[in-house]
Amino acid sequence: MSAYSAAGEANAKPNYLNHEKGIWSWLTTVDHKRICLLYLFAILIFFFVGGMAALAMRLELAKLYGTGQHNFIDAETYNAMFTIHGAVMIFLFIVPGIPATLGNFLLPLMIGAKDVAFPKLNLFSWYIYMVGACMALFGLLKPIGPAFMEKAMNFIGVHGPVDTGWTFYAPYSIETGTSVVWMTAAAFVLGFSSILTGLNFIVTIHKLRAPGMTWDRLPVFVWGTYATAVIQTLATPVVGITLLLVIMERGFGVGVFNPKLGGDPVLYQHLFWFYSHPVVYIMVLPAFGIVGEIIPVFSRKPIFGYKAVVYASVTIAVVGFLVWAHHMFVAGISEAAAIYFSVVTFGVAVPTAVKVFNWVSTMYRGSIRFNTPMLYAMGFIFLFMVAGTTGVYLAVLAVDVYYHDTYFVVAHFHYTIQGGAVIGLMGGLYYWFPKMSGKMYNETAGKVTWFLVFVGFNLTFIPQFALGMEGMPRRYYDYLPQYQNLHQVSTAGAVINALGYTLALLNLGWAAVFGRVKAPANPWDSLSLEWQTPSPPPHENFEVTPVVTGSTYAYGTPVRGDAAAH
Amino acid sequence: MFRYFPEQASAHAADVDWMNNIITDLSLFFTVAIVGAMIYFAIRYRQRNGKDHETPRIEGSHTLEMIWTIVPTIVSIFLAYYGVVIYQQTREVPENALRITAWGQKWFWDFEYEYKDEAGQSQVKKIGGKDVEWVVPVDRPIKLVMQSRDVLHSFFIPAMRAKKDVIPGQWSYIVFTPIKTGKYPVFCTEYCGKEHSNMMASLRVVSEAEFDRWLKDRSAENALAGMSPSARGKQLYTEKGCNACHSLDGSRLIGPSFLKVFGKKESLQDGTTVDVDENYIQESILHPNKQIVEGYAPVMPSYDGQLGPDEIAGLIAFIQAQDGSAPVAAPVAAPVDDGWDKLSPLERGEKLVKAKTVPACTSCHSLDGSALVGPSFKGIFGRTAELQDGTSLVVDEAYLEESILNPMAKIAKNFAPAMPPVYGTQLKEQDVKDIVEYLKTVK
Repeated sequence: MSAYSAAGEANAKPNYLNHEKGIWSWLTTVDHKRICLLYLFAILIFFFVGGMAALAMRLELAKLYGTGQHNFIDAETYNAMFTIHGAVMIFLFIVPGIPATLGNFLLPLMIGAKDVAFPKLNLFSWYIYMVGACMALFGLLKPIGPAFMEKAMNFIGVHGPVDTGWTFYAPYSIETGTSVVWMTAAAFVLGFSSILTGLNFIVTIHKLRAPGMTWDRLPVFVWGTYATAVIQTLATPVVGITLLLVIMERGFGVGVFNPKLGGDPVLYQHLFWFYSHPVVYIMVLPAFGIVGEIIPVFSRKPIFGYKAVVYASVTIAVVGFLVWAHHMFVAGISEAAAIYFSVVTFGVAVPTAVKVFNWVSTMYRGSIRFNTPMLYAMGFIFLFMVAGTTGVYLAVLAVDVYYHDTYFVVAHFHYTIQGGAVIGLMGGLYYWFPKMSGKMYNETAGKVTWFLVFVGFNLTFIPQFALGMEGMPRRYYDYLPQYQNLHQVSTAGAVINALGYTLALLNLGWAAVFGRVKAPANPWDSLSLEWQTPSPPPHENFEVTPVVTGSTYAYGTPVRGDAAAH
Repeated sequence: MFRYFPEQASAHAADVDWMNNIITDLSLFFTVAIVGAMIYFAIRYRQRNGKDHETPRIEGSHTLEMIWTIVPTIVSIFLAYYGVVIYQQTREVPENALRITAWGQKWFWDFEYEYKDEAGQSQVKKIGGKDVEWVVPVDRPIKLVMQSRDVLHSFFIPAMRAKKDVIPGQWSYIVFTPIKTGKYPVFCTEYCGKEHSNMMASLRVVSEAEFDRWLKDRSAENALAGMSPSARGKQLYTEKGCNACHSLDGSRLIGPSFLKVFGKKESLQDGTTVDVDENYIQESILHPNKQIVEGYAPVMPSYDGQLGPDEIAGLIAFIQAQDGSAPVAAPVAAPVDDGWDKLSPLERGEKLVKAKTVPACTSCHSLDGSALVGPSFKGIFGRTAELQDGTSLVVDEAYLEESILNPMAKIAKNFAPAMPPVYGTQLKEQDVKDIVEYLKTVK
């Protein structure tokens, strides 16, 4: 029984990629699918930039010529590198990473709409993003060349790559001589792109669902994107204002954060984390959604506990707003505040655990296909188990005091964001690639590169948990000799990891440009709406507005007498 | 598995580790169970021969949802509760705690110990600087009260399981009771700029008696106080790393050489000129990038807040002394000249005394009988010397050797214990013998 009354078949009609031609048609497009690709090109460039900065750090930390002296980059360059890595990866790559790319492409398709609610605003968001990205580049430049060039660059506020860390902690960010203003101004501008995208998605989900697409039939990816959009809209303004205050403090000596002017540096941290904790849910909630789409399709089973999965996402989004100061247990907050934030943090841990249980249970008695997207989804579950359980150490007050600002935190964070969000994005790109490009990728290359990514990632960050347990602080350019072996293993892992990502993305890029195998409309036999239209979809998404009559996940044979079956 | 913590050197370390290890074991158990189930399902229910088999449309189970919501909740409550209880224990300050004040600043730690001397007078012992070693007694609670002089820092002693941010304009503390003597590294764990990773100290835990001796031994401070300004400046020149960018022999490094710089007219980058005087030097130390000499890059870090007035005066005096009249002491004093071995012991000794040591012996000991910072070398051998402790002795080879290697041991009367104890590492055994041979001849 097909769940949908409208199903597209592959045909020779024009699709969104070729219905208009020329660079101008791309730069002025208001088609959400084309805007997805605009974002995708941009974020992949920044993924590369941020990745190169990470490799520079890892190569330095390998200390191939012994500890104590620099052998690859000097201390100032190293400090700039981890700032560039953090700021670029977060503000330019992973925050827009899933929502603005796959979210943009899939949201209207999944709910049976022609486009997002405000297509022009959508394009405008991309331009704001590009302006912010250019501003961020100013924050990375080093004034070089003839004297007049240096003077000109100094005049516009370019003083050398930002060295504050992506957190811009005051008062260091107030007094350092580097281009903090450009970088914080860039984050401020990028925030508008994020807010407008979130707003656009909220309205789209509320107003543009196809007939029959009730809230309890929404695909879990749409739910994930919805929860994300709410956080984007509500939390981003706070960091925008905070970074603006940093700029005011640098430019005009307004004493909000600098104790020399009567300010409070701990206040900065409160304001910063009020956004920057929820922002990790902006990164991972859509990835949860992707995994929730992939596992049922490749197991031929409905997602286990649909409602629990959805409630868990919403709970995480809401409780995520109430836990920010767990980044500040040793930062000078009161004991009562520390206790509150520790306890409430477990309010995020429980729904996260519930999600993992549901994903794994979905595979029970399935008919499991091991295509590349499924490998990414299963890899995600393992990595996210590690991320989640190591998060527990950091939520427990007595133990976090030891781990705070050590490599343990670095490793935990990368398991959630790289192991979670980036692996989710990679799985999503592989899964929806046939729909987006109209071609099939090379499955063998997909699996081999997945293996490189997975092994390289674990090899990079498992040693970093051990380093953190041994007490190695983060953001260290140099370290005691006892930490060297683990650092070298980690560097080897980083090289494999980088190679894996490069080849995995090249595999997709190659297939998109030179691939000869045309993708059918629905290569994975999915029941979700986006697969019921040709690959690639036509400009207007569906020839006829679809009417939804059942669950998105009605896989398998109905079971009589099952407790939760309708 | 996964037990990587450093040794437990404080009373509360065992509790923290117990908590940590419980989380590790629970994490391993749940990870293995869940990922194990996933792998088992993946193998057991894999698609065979490229064809799907029939699957049941199981949409969920309220019972299971309840179980896997309630079980993690119970585990969470348990962990959160004990986390809070142990945390509170680690923050409790016992009444008999020894209170020490610490200051963080880019990029070193300073410590102040207040104590009562024999006369019941309140005294303060101050130590500090890069890689400073601070000392505490074993088995006594230590409350370290901390504040920053510039940006955020964080004080972390892994072996004590103690960490707290050090904030400008706000006091914070850590408290711990060391249970083992030994030496433990201290890290800064809040990013604070270029030398963040070198902002280290070591904590030495000693017996109560040894701590008391250490606390009341003030010779190192007296030595510094007794130094002439230019001698202090000379020491700072290497200690603070001035020598990395400013030469003493006129050669061009990253910054201008100090040779004959004092009193010179320098042209600046903005086209103006400036007289290099005390104020310009002070300005250049505190706000280095305001007045840049033409042809140099504005790269010098500010030493504002890192140097006291005495230290700045010392550097000014030292720079002023670089007028070309004194032989330039190489920053590294090892006698490595070709043909060094061919010289006679006397010749070698003379070179060492006059130039090849840092600071050169003759910067404090005259050869003509005048008293400088230390006693003159003229006729020193065989002389009867009165010591500070009232005894006297005849200056022989043994006393000269001892005075070179361990200057504080026997101080001559009317002189401050100001000689830096640096020659033990600087000089080889043969060098010391050569110096003594030479000193015998100074008449």
